[in-house]
Amino acid sequence: MKNFEYARANNPADAVRLVGDRPGATFIAGGTDLLNLMKDGAQTHDRIVDVNGLALTDISHGNGFLRVGALARMADVGAHRAVREKFPVVSQALLASASPQVRNMASIGGNLLQRTRCGYFRDTGSACNKRIPGSGCPAIDGENRGHAVLGVSDHCIAAHPSDLAVSLIAVDAVVLTNGPHGERRIPFGDFHLAPGDTPERENVLTHGELIVGLELPLTPAAAKSQYLKLRDRATFEFAVVSVAAALDLRGRTVNDVRLAFGGIATKPWRSTDAEAVLRGRALDTATIDAAGRAAVHGAIPRAHNAFKIDLVQRALSRVLHELGGVR
Amino acid sequence: MSPLIGRAVPRVDGHAKVTGGARYAADTHVPGVTYGTLATSTIARGTITTIDTTLAQAVPGVIAVFTHLTMPRLVTPPSPYPKGFVPLQDATIHHNGQPVAYVVAQTLEQAQEAAALIDVRYHAEPAKVAIDDAPGEEFLPPPGPEGPQEFVHGDPAAGLANAHKKVDATYSSPVHHHNPIETSATVAVWDGDQLTLHESTQSISLTQQIVAQALSVPQNTIRVLTPFLGGGFGSKAPVWPHTLLTAAVARQLRKPVKLVLTRAQMYTSSGHRAEFRQQVTVGAAKDGTLTAIVNISNQQLSRTEQRVFNTSESSWMVYGCPNIHAKQLGVRLDLPTPHFMRSPEGPALVGLEMALDELSYELGMDPVALRLKNYTDLNPENGQKIGNQNLPECLKLAGDAFGWSRRNPTPRSMRDGNELIGWGMATEAHSYHARASSAWVQIDTDGHALARCGTQDIGTGTYTVMTQVTAEALGMPMNSVRFELGDTNFPAAGFSAASVTVSSVSGSVDKAARAARDAVIALAVADPHSPLHGAAPDRIVTEHGFLFLTDDRTRRDSYQGVVSRHGKPVEATGSFLNVPGYTTGASFIEVRVDPWLGRVRVTRAVAAYDIGRVMNHRTARSQVLGGMIWGVGYALTEHTMIDRHTARIVNPNLSGYLVPVNADAPKIEAFFVDKPDPTSPVGAKGFGEAPITGVPAAISNAIYHATGRRIRDLPITQDKLL
Ligand SMILES: Cc1cc2nc3c(=O)[nH]c(=O)nc-3n(C[C@H](O)[C@H](O)[C@H](O)COP(=O)(O)OP(=O)(O)OC[C@H]3O[C@@H](n4cnc5c(N)ncnc54)[C@H](O)[C@@H]3O)c2cc1C
Repeated sequence: MKNFEYARANNPADAVRLVGDRPGATFIAGGTDLLNLMKDGAQTHDRIVDVNGLALTDISHGNGFLRVGALARMADVGAHRAVREKFPVVSQALLASASPQVRNMASIGGNLLQRTRCGYFRDTGSACNKRIPGSGCPAIDGENRGHAVLGVSDHCIAAHPSDLAVSLIAVDAVVLTNGPHGERRIPFGDFHLAPGDTPERENVLTHGELIVGLELPLTPAAAKSQYLKLRDRATFEFAVVSVAAALDLRGRTVNDVRLAFGGIATKPWRSTDAEAVLRGRALDTATIDAAGRAAVHGAIPRAHNAFKIDLVQRALSRVLHELGGVR
Repeated sequence: MSPLIGRAVPRVDGHAKVTGGARYAADTHVPGVTYGTLATSTIARGTITTIDTTLAQAVPGVIAVFTHLTMPRLVTPPSPYPKGFVPLQDATIHHNGQPVAYVVAQTLEQAQEAAALIDVRYHAEPAKVAIDDAPGEEFLPPPGPEGPQEFVHGDPAAGLANAHKKVDATYSSPVHHHNPIETSATVAVWDGDQLTLHESTQSISLTQQIVAQALSVPQNTIRVLTPFLGGGFGSKAPVWPHTLLTAAVARQLRKPVKLVLTRAQMYTSSGHRAEFRQQVTVGAAKDGTLTAIVNISNQQLSRTEQRVFNTSESSWMVYGCPNIHAKQLGVRLDLPTPHFMRSPEGPALVGLEMALDELSYELGMDPVALRLKNYTDLNPENGQKIGNQNLPECLKLAGDAFGWSRRNPTPRSMRDGNELIGWGMATEAHSYHARASSAWVQIDTDGHALARCGTQDIGTGTYTVMTQVTAEALGMPMNSVRFELGDTNFPAAGFSAASVTVSSVSGSVDKAARAARDAVIALAVADPHSPLHGAAPDRIVTEHGFLFLTDDRTRRDSYQGVVSRHGKPVEATGSFLNVPGYTTGASFIEVRVDPWLGRVRVTRAVAAYDIGRVMNHRTARSQVLGGMIWGVGYALTEHTMIDRHTARIVNPNLSGYLVPVNADAPKIEAFFVDKPDPTSPVGAKGFGEAPITGVPAAISNAIYHATGRRIRDLPITQDKLL
């Protein structure tokens, strides 16, 4: 690991300046991802700016929304009463993430910026277009069981790893930032980027832009939401496939719905097509199956991950049957 | 007084381990130590054309960068050195992750930064990575230390022809890695021509021998120390190149050097369980009597080694069958040399135990009854007893506790909500080797005893069990006895592998302790100041630190009294060569499967073993817990993924290589027959590796019972059950 400088920010403006000033600088919150990447050599920085001293840990009620500070810890947010009651999908996604030890360290802001678990990306001995643009993507013809089938490009098929992000896109969260060019509100669906031909760009943040918090709008659908995460071992593993669903039923009819998926896509994946299949219809097995088919429409399977297309539809079906009380 | 041996005493080193007092190799503090780092190859096969170290040399703090051009020349040690070559001696690359440079710097970070700056250019050749990449290239390797690679008994073809029912199926398992928590570390310290190695090894004496061969120095100039080991599972049983290179570099630089392998380097530096594929054909008469067992297997070998480690011994050892054919083929691939991994007899037994389950369905016979029908205690090679006499009792102990008799054999016959429930079982079996060992015991004038043996505690509890053995033989309380190990200056013992430590070392420790005890008794009866003066030595017993006359217990002396009057410590040595043997048992497993999602949970595991006399019920049970939990990983999750083009391992870390976590561990019950083995002075058999050998098959069999789906390719991940 290369030597680097450590600086501690006292307020957001300070943090933005300390990173913005230096092209090789970055923020550090819990460090649970950044330090692994630096130790593995997948990322190098000459300065890290510690933001843990910033007063951004609160979870508070606003007018029609819940506000979560970027430095709130995954464990605290997952266990928070208002989150559990008004956004069960978010609480469940957090508590299904990582391990208690990681959740105690890791922050909400850091979670959204964690990088893919693609083994080629994290191995400096392998080619990777995300790490070294233009070097190639060995995953496309390689060990791609964990990789994405949606949102992929010829340059990258790495799956986005965050569970929290999948749940946030299903509740229409907004990311609040503070950067060299001022403050921004970024709708969650616009925050992450599919790889296209610039897989090294994963989100819309500019250098030095600090996430300060999230706004989660209170809606009936969000209050009736669920996260199902499937993986190869019982816990402490990233999603093989996951489903976040928020459902507002009027009688048997779907008044509003949000469907998002993890493990199968290069970014937190919301399927408005699948939602459209359900909206205004009676929730039954046939419509649920149709929504599943819509969700995976256009999926591109590779040698080892084709099963995800089937599995994610089964997972969606399980969630919607449970959430909607359909049997 | 109830015997100390067998008691579930807590680990004597437990406190040190949980408080950080136990010093592992990487914890060794040596003044002036420098830090080594390996740069490793990014191709699997070919040659280095150029290697530029200019940038690396310029990193502040860098002391030296050794490449194949500058590295001191070493001798490739003969077997059991498993690698077949020493890296950094020429430009040839045999596998991805092979060391191509050794950097030494003042700090670890400097060494790592420099290693990343080395520019290596290669002439790369296409690599073969998986058995499927080399069809038709399998061959019968020459006989290894365990004997020939083909075993024929009776007339297998006739046995199959006469069978009433047959099963013929192919079973496969992927590359596995050991993943001990402690990554391997070496600290090499030269003092003149004397070398001290602080090493994470399962064999200090083998390390001494192999390093001496590689460096062409006398063995007695090398001292190896391993007071603690953070797990090995076979990965640290042989001596690997990083140790040789570190010793050589430290000699060259005249500076102590510390090397700690990274987790990723552990995946290319210390062996693995080879990819394994076996065609198993079993036939049986109507009543279940086996008429033939045929096991034709193929496994990965490296370009530089052809020893076969996934042995099919179970094919001819576990069951009595008049017609047996086992053939262990291998295929050379461009991967690191595979090696043994707890438990090398597992992969073949997994196939046999799955095939027998299939056969039980063909025959309409209970799987336990089928095993009992074919039970034997005789080795077909020589007709001698193998020590399997208590397998029927194991099947009964575990089966009764599990409730096996209530099982409805029909697949999909048990359901709970979304989940199907299945019950499966398998025999467990593993042989243990013979190793010579010696020990030394001293009783000091304060009445305390010190025992020493050049063995290892690889986390299995050697410190604790040998303290019990010493204390029991002497007739002293545990807290008067101190047991030391892991130093080549102590009397020599074998490696801690092949399930041999307890059965071999307990013999020499017991003998040394009894000899010391007898010497003290001799002093007592000869000492006019002793209340025991003039007594017949064979009328004296020792208990709790005291010596009593059996007929008159008021006549007593103490170790402290006798030895302090003697004025100097009493010491004795003992040597022992254990008899190799076979340890068997049975495991019973319950799984719950959500068939819609393909999700499997192992919810209950019950096992019973004949391990001779149980030395310590707590450490023995721990061994079962470890085996059962690892068996869950073997069956359901563990899989080293290797890129088929580059032969690079894609998941060389504990986040991508999925070992079970606590939430995957079932409720586990362990039973032991607990009858002394007559060949051992203390009644011990070898046990370490037996638990796990049948577990993956039992899980797979349970999944079949739950779902009606027979998955013959491990691991059984959810995609295979959709
Ligand atoms: C073993 C393991 C298992 C895991 N399993 C899961 C899992 O199952 N599901 C899951 O979702 N996650 C999982 N994770 C990932 C974990 O959730 C993330 O590592 C964590 O959320 C990152 O948060 P952090 O505060 O530690 O971020 P850091 O590591 O400190 O930072 C991560 C990145 O975010 C940037 N950053 C941090 N805070 C801010 C901010 N306020 N503004 C702008 N940039 C910022 C940093 O510069 C860095 O680039 C796992 C991690 C580990 C180590």
